[in-house]
Amino acid sequence: MTDIDTHQTTDLNGLDPGRFRDWSCDQDFCVTCALCSSACPVSGIDDFDPRKLVRMTALGMEDEIVEARWPWICTMCGKCENLCPMDIHIPAMVRRIRGLRDRDAVPGILHKGLEAAMQSGNNLGLPREDFVFILEDVAEEVAEEPGFEGFKVPIDKKGANLLTTIHNKLVNTHTEDLKHWWKIFHAAGEDWTVSSVNWEGTNWGYFTGDDERMKVMVDRIVEQMERLEVKNLMWPE
Amino acid sequence: MPTTYHDPCNYGRRAEQMFGRGFFDEPRWILSQCVENWVELYPTAQRQICCGGGGGALTSGYNDERIHYGRRKMDQIRAAGARMIVVPCHSCHGQLNNLKSQYDFEDLTVKYLWELVADCMVV
Ligand code: SF4
Ligand code: SF4
Repeated sequence: MTDIDTHQTTDLNGLDPGRFRDWSCDQDFCVTCALCSSACPVSGIDDFDPRKLVRMTALGMEDEIVEARWPWICTMCGKCENLCPMDIHIPAMVRRIRGLRDRDAVPGILHKGLEAAMQSGNNLGLPREDFVFILEDVAEEVAEEPGFEGFKVPIDKKGANLLTTIHNKLVNTHTEDLKHWWKIFHAAGEDWTVSSVNWEGTNWGYFTGDDERMKVMVDRIVEQMERLEVKNLMWPE
Repeated sequence: MPTTYHDPCNYGRRAEQMFGRGFFDEPRWILSQCVENWVELYPTAQRQICCGGGGGALTSGYNDERIHYGRRKMDQIRAAGARMIVVPCHSCHGQLNNLKSQYDFEDLTVKYLWELVADCMVV
């Protein structure tokens, strides 16, 4: 990734103010007050601060903002937006910039995980049988604890009251953490279920600015609700 | 154990900004059912400091930047005198657990809100 050299000369003829006016982020109305930069926890890293990014976006400096790692170091936390006197939607703007990256150049495992989810239904590429095996295995452990005798995990239960999604790390490195919600459901007498397919609760298309794949992930959850005739959704990811 | 609560950006500040309603009171009510005399972080609620693990930061590979981001979060928890931080977010939970080893704060317990509820239930 290229670091932006803010001391270099910019070719003013290459600027294109208002180029991203259709984003509805209002970056073109920045008054350069820098309240956002004061609020941002990562101002200063790699010469980044949100005001610069807002101004560069307003000036249409597409190559520079898309190649910078700035939009990926920002966590879209909204501290900046919370203070901005012009109500500029900085996190949403950051997400739009992320979306302009070549998908192969998206950093880390974000796009790879999303691609795996497109193919298999979850970021891990975990097959259905393995998923079911893990859930049933953990359920057996719960059933051994006092007060939870006979506990079973109701997979694909038609007509249940509540469908819950699963964060992929809970069927990977953190299976113990599956138990908390299950115990609450058990104690509360909740009629709940989990789908054996397309159960992934994380949606990395949100992080990578990929609206198309983000919608696919959301649609799949709706499909499971329809398939299982469940009216309520718990989506804690 | 001195306990505190962290507002995830997306349930709090950003939900308020985007949908006009942030979830600040509900988790605090739940926490109060489980723990007496827990303390607030400062700043809190809308002005809460991000943990640095959101927006895909845990999986972007920019780990040095992510850990640097979290320095203020660790200072803030220390300043509150807390030894347990309760969070209702998978990303915050992962980040805080990772940060505590980076900032010499190994005795900090990071707890999901729903984990705390499950721990407190008498069945
Ligand atoms: S707070 Fe808003 S108006 Fe001020 S510099 Fe930042 S983006 Fe521009
Ligand atoms: S949303 Fe990004 S730019 Fe704004 S304060 Fe948070 S990290 Fe900084």
